[in-house]
Amino acid sequence: MLSTRPNLARDISIAAVALIVLLLLPYVWPSRMMNDLVIRVSAFALFATSLNLLVGYTGMVSFGHGMFFGFGAYAFGLSMQRLGVSIPTAILITIVSSALLGLVVGAISIRLKDIYFSFITLAFQMLLYSTVIAWVPLTGGDQGLMGGIPRPPFLGIDLSIESHRYAFAVTIMVVGLLILRQIVESPFGYTLRMIRDNTERATFLGINVFRAKLTAFVIAGVFGSLGGMVMALFVSGAYPEFVNWTMSGEGIFMIMLGGLSTFIGPAAGALILSLLNDVITRGTEHHGLFLGAVILLFALGLRKGVTDFIADWFRTRREASTRSGN
Amino acid sequence: MARKRAELDRRTVLKGAAAGAAATIFAPNIVAAQNKVVRIGMPTILSGRVAQLGTSSRNAVIMEVEKINAAGGLAGRQIEMVIRDSKGQPQEAARVSRELVNSDGCEILLDAEASSGSFAVQEVAKDLGVLVMHTNSETSSLTADPKIRIPLAFRSCRQGIHDAVVSGAYAAEIAKAKKINRWGTCSPDYAYGRDNTQLFVEYLKHFYPQAEVTTEAWPKLFQPDYTEVITRVLQNKPQALYSALWGGDLTSWVDQASIYALFSQMEVFAINMADYTVLTAVKNLPKGIHSATRYIKTYPATKQNAAWGDEYRARFKEYPTNWSWENWVGIHFIAEAAKKANSADGKKIAEAMRGLKIDCPFGADGTVTMRADDQTVIGYAIGWGPTISQEPYVPEVKGASWDTILQLEAEWKKRNNYT
Repeated sequence: MLSTRPNLARDISIAAVALIVLLLLPYVWPSRMMNDLVIRVSAFALFATSLNLLVGYTGMVSFGHGMFFGFGAYAFGLSMQRLGVSIPTAILITIVSSALLGLVVGAISIRLKDIYFSFITLAFQMLLYSTVIAWVPLTGGDQGLMGGIPRPPFLGIDLSIESHRYAFAVTIMVVGLLILRQIVESPFGYTLRMIRDNTERATFLGINVFRAKLTAFVIAGVFGSLGGMVMALFVSGAYPEFVNWTMSGEGIFMIMLGGLSTFIGPAAGALILSLLNDVITRGTEHHGLFLGAVILLFALGLRKGVTDFIADWFRTRREASTRSGN
Repeated sequence: MARKRAELDRRTVLKGAAAGAAATIFAPNIVAAQNKVVRIGMPTILSGRVAQLGTSSRNAVIMEVEKINAAGGLAGRQIEMVIRDSKGQPQEAARVSRELVNSDGCEILLDAEASSGSFAVQEVAKDLGVLVMHTNSETSSLTADPKIRIPLAFRSCRQGIHDAVVSGAYAAEIAKAKKINRWGTCSPDYAYGRDNTQLFVEYLKHFYPQAEVTTEAWPKLFQPDYTEVITRVLQNKPQALYSALWGGDLTSWVDQASIYALFSQMEVFAINMADYTVLTAVKNLPKGIHSATRYIKTYPATKQNAAWGDEYRARFKEYPTNWSWENWVGIHFIAEAAKKANSADGKKIAEAMRGLKIDCPFGADGTVTMRADDQTVIGYAIGWGPTISQEPYVPEVKGASWDTILQLEAEWKKRNNYT
């Protein structure tokens, strides 16, 4: 079904070019700081884009999406530390377990609407956070998973080597975003948009709204957890802050900064927020004040994300050229 | 035509902005390469609820680095501190530490993080192969556990197991004298609070087997209202109470417990009381709360310690904290090891630091030693005593026996399969 979509080839081409550019970047611009930034943005881009599948495409404003980010980091870290499995197996465990978590949390949460949905997702996240803090023998409590995450080589890839880790992170990000793109552009993606715009109409058309929402919730959870996994690889650990509500808040900020009407908006927001954080933290201890001011500017002043403005600009330009062509 | 010119202008502006941003973000690499100073990166907590601890760490380091630089720096190279806020978040501590090394050209890390951050910094140091001195993490496993320990990581601060032995011994002595058998505990409900309390009880029973814990209260971290836990403790009427509350939590708890006259009904042992930040913040400090020394300028009772406390206070208009002296020890160990190795190279400093003994105002006998086998500091002054509400706050400190600490620590390591 997907192969019939006319833009599939274009999406794959864009993803391939993006991947090549990102893989070549360290050779063109060798900077360990740049590599670190790209790895972190890769993790956050997956997290924010998966959240936008719920917020932007389905109209489900989840305040608890950080639970998947943190869960992914812990599931991956614990699989590697406790089970001693290979990295592909740990990734598989992370995907399957986060899908199960999404299924359970989603089955309960999506029965509620609007703000009630938002708050029950937040409640689940805080439940997981409390569990992580309290279950010290397993999670290390507030100190997180200590002692580093083992990174045994697999298929010629050694994630203890920085260049391999970088390539692995950007590949996961680009492939993840490509899959998410195909999902939102598929008939299922348009079903989600219809549910967002008019749930009653979707129901009358015979769509099983519950099932569609649950599927979206599980997919978002899986990709959010992959973001957490990339972050766990980067910091070689997992910490309660990954599961805390502030992580969900950052996801929302990323979407607001980048824009929720374009597919790439949340990923752009992840980049902007990371850059803002790095630059502001470098310059002042009052980073909360400055970061808050920037977010206020976007929320109250501009009321759109950066990519929304760019998309509008292109649209206006296209319309203007069409008019002048007529 | 006009439109074309506008487009070109816009592009020029965009290119300029991009170049400017890139220069701002990545320029420190170039700067670092051109400098001959040795840069030491210091991630610490400069914002949020425990910012005062990070600030007091920074103050102590700035004060000492000036002196070390005046004396020639690290093997002839002047030290330049690059200090960044980690916001108390481990992932941010990891990011900032990587940035300090990769972008700012720091050759050594002085990790002034709380425990969770220090484990994240340890991973960065392992990854990047840089010398790291943990100056604040009290979690014993950081250096005790061989699975976590790395050759280039050292610790210059007190640690949980040492505290527990000393606390248990002191409390047991009072329990024996006053026949205190029924104990209660009231500690924050997170890893530090639980670990600390469990170890205290273990060593209290080691020294005084008749001790029995009859009530436990676990208030949440940063809990504003302690009425429930205070009344529960009072209802159970233990003869003594141990608490690992700290900072603002301890201040609030003492203020609220005073209203219920808790301190007149039982002996209270609050390990984190004797730090100026708490002692000066409590509105009506009741007499006789037992505390371990964190930092007070009267213990150890030496001229050097008093002079350092006064110098710090004169400069920063506040007293140093527990984290301040621990950072003093950290930066001085690096400086002395560099002198011994005649090099500012991290690996050579590390080699010289193993087993190094230095003069120190905070040493039990005027010195502290960087134990070679687990690269952690021993011999620092540690004692317990009852507090009063004005200077010197802890007038009679009973110093700890390091022979006992080391003997019981060795047994503890064996029990935990660390040796």
